[in-house]
Amino acid sequence: MIDLERLIEQANELAPLPASTVRLAELVGSPDCHLEDVAELIAFDQALTVKLLRAANSAASGSAVPVSTVQEAVTRMGTAQVLALAVASGARPLLQARVPAYGLNEGALWRHSVAAAVAAETAPAFCQLDVPPETFTAALLHDVGKLVMGRFLSPEILGFIQRAHEVDHLGQLEAESLLLNVHHGELGGLIAQHWNLPPRVVLGITYHHNPDQGLDVICDLTYLTNQVAKRIEAGLDGRKFDLVISPEVTERLGLTPKTLNNLCPIAASRYTQVSRRYNAV
Amino acid sequence: MNTVDFDYIRNFVRDQAAIVLEPGKEYLVESRLQTLAREENLNSLDALIGKLRADPKNGLHRKVVDAMTTNETSFFRDFHPFEALRKSLLPELMARRAQERQLHFWCGAASTGQEPYSVLMLLAEHFPELLQWDFKFIATDLCGKVLARARSGRFNQLEVNRGLPAPLLVKYFVRQGAEWEFREDLRRRVEFRELNLVKDWPCLPLLDIVFLRNVMIYFDVETKKAILANARRLLRPGGYLLLGGAETTFNVDDAFERVTFDKTSCYRVKQA
Repeated sequence: MIDLERLIEQANELAPLPASTVRLAELVGSPDCHLEDVAELIAFDQALTVKLLRAANSAASGSAVPVSTVQEAVTRMGTAQVLALAVASGARPLLQARVPAYGLNEGALWRHSVAAAVAAETAPAFCQLDVPPETFTAALLHDVGKLVMGRFLSPEILGFIQRAHEVDHLGQLEAESLLLNVHHGELGGLIAQHWNLPPRVVLGITYHHNPDQGLDVICDLTYLTNQVAKRIEAGLDGRKFDLVISPEVTERLGLTPKTLNNLCPIAASRYTQVSRRYNAV
Repeated sequence: MNTVDFDYIRNFVRDQAAIVLEPGKEYLVESRLQTLAREENLNSLDALIGKLRADPKNGLHRKVVDAMTTNETSFFRDFHPFEALRKSLLPELMARRAQERQLHFWCGAASTGQEPYSVLMLLAEHFPELLQWDFKFIATDLCGKVLARARSGRFNQLEVNRGLPAPLLVKYFVRQGAEWEFREDLRRRVEFRELNLVKDWPCLPLLDIVFLRNVMIYFDVETKKAILANARRLLRPGGYLLLGGAETTFNVDDAFERVTFDKTSCYRVKQA
């Protein structure tokens, strides 16, 4: 139905993330990550330094005391936030694009990505486990595969996918797998590999629709953040969206219906605060 | 696609491979066969079906069945059955066969080889001594095209990303351009053959483990019964049958009993 070799080639031809962002992702993902190393790396990237200081001094950072050095900014924001900012900065031009095959106008994929990243930022307070720092990056990039997949979804293929939804009630992922032998999560994982992002980021992106197969908590979290992001967006658009999280994921993350209900409005409020930082509004 | 053509294809793949296509699956037939029509330089699906009707044994019939076969697979698919193999089944079978030092496995829907190669990696990692035994692993599939790929042991990046942990990729595969090739010394341990589960089975040895995972779901009850009866006759006493997570012998062939290892159900023939 589609040429998988060409699909892989195109995934590997996407513009790379800046080298400093990839190095930062490796650092943050390593077990012996030190704030000093992160600060040193950022100090060599002027554009990122400016963005980081601006974010650390913004109202959303929640502090009235200004910071003036990279080290202070990293300490205030935390390494995961810093990584999310760097990846956001590098990937934003790509994620701003229109992806008509998925019904995404210009900026829509970016807004969804930011909402998921904000959900990742909010989730640790509600989950009964340690949230891996790579979760923010995985959440931000979880749909990056749509950028390449969208180029291959001809009107004919989209028609078949639509009929798979209608006739067999298949979700997007199942329909893509059945008809194309690949889904956008797998393709996103391939892109993240090509960008040399940490293996857990690759896992989170790959299995964001089918976390049971990923065998890593980051897959559960990326799945959760995608669903919460949809809920946030629906709330802003005045649409109804029932947040349905699989019982297995709910159990593995130590969530309850009550904590899930609490997570969503807090994430939504946080999204409104920080979306300016990511130019998502 | 009109009803007459759909019914023709439905009956055709049912006769050839017992694949059941429910009404409403026209979109699946169209999506798979339009690709085949293009590959065959035919300008439409109608032309492909016309050619098939005119001469159903012109070689095209095999390609149609191949195109309609779902070859979904991955390394260490579902994870838990491989844990059951490592922790329970293999230690038990190795202890039972320690005298004759002989174990025979068969994978009946091998597709592009991920399942037999996953088992080989598991053996090499945890039971390397077994590879010195009289060890035979036969892997069969209906589709010659996918078997050719399985024999080559070559996988693209998407395929190795499906379930294969990075340390095993590095240890058991060699990079060949854009692909990864499974190590030749292990690849040689698997004998790939064509076998249509719903036709007469060629000669197979007596078996200690039969893998028929995620293939019975495509068949009707009568076909399942026939396949399970054949598999049962091939299992040695104490041997195990492994099915997919959504499959069971219950109410299909009650000569089997279920044995549960943690999160995995396996089946063995009830002893009289």
